[in-house]
Amino acid sequence: MTQGLSLRLNAIGLLAIVAVLAFALGDQLLKKELPCPLCILQRVGFVLAGFGLALNLRFSPRPSHYALTLLGALFGGAVSIRQILLHIVPGSGAYGDAFLELHFYTWALIVFVLILLGTACMLLFDRQFDEGAHGAGPLTGLALLVFVLFVVLALGNGLSTFLECGVGLCPDNPIDYEFLKPLPRL
Amino acid sequence: MMFLPFLVLAAGLLTVFYGRRRWALGCWAAGLLLLIVLFRVHATSVLNLGF
Repeated sequence: MTQGLSLRLNAIGLLAIVAVLAFALGDQLLKKELPCPLCILQRVGFVLAGFGLALNLRFSPRPSHYALTLLGALFGGAVSIRQILLHIVPGSGAYGDAFLELHFYTWALIVFVLILLGTACMLLFDRQFDEGAHGAGPLTGLALLVFVLFVVLALGNGLSTFLECGVGLCPDNPIDYEFLKPLPRL
Repeated sequence: MMFLPFLVLAAGLLTVFYGRRRWALGCWAAGLLLLIVLFRVHATSVLNLGF
């Protein structure tokens, strides 16, 4: 696999993560469903995983960058597994609405596993690393567009988390945005 | 406090954009550490599982 093809695939992979983050944030805003603390941590896992791909796009593909993606997906997946186990026993309830018959935390685990598989497959091709930092340089075209969207979504999720939880920890079952509550009358 | 990982990682992405790889790696590591700490804080209840 040439470095050029590798960079294109990295851009597409990052676009997929951008789509997941955008879908989660869009669902939160449109359906007015607040994400639970574990849901927020899964989003952090997606940003950690995408970070490695962003490094590939800017500095050319390196095994260490793929390692960051693997670690991000691994820890994000661990959070998903914890949340699935919280609700796996019949009658123990669930958090949020289902999408295509699965809850978001189950979808998150599926996507994290796909990221692990995809990254492992990318690591099979050594030629992308042989060309050194040939592809390194300022981002252009699709890579720049996807990168900007990724930064915007990382900041957007940070802002929504700040509005929901403030500077403290999020409640386990949030019902309202902490910073959007009407002020009490004096 | 739970917005911090996003903030740190977004700052890290800006260092990526400007070509500061070491700073970016530091921000990523800080983001992962925050994820682990916050996960530990929130994963306190015992799972209701029986085998």
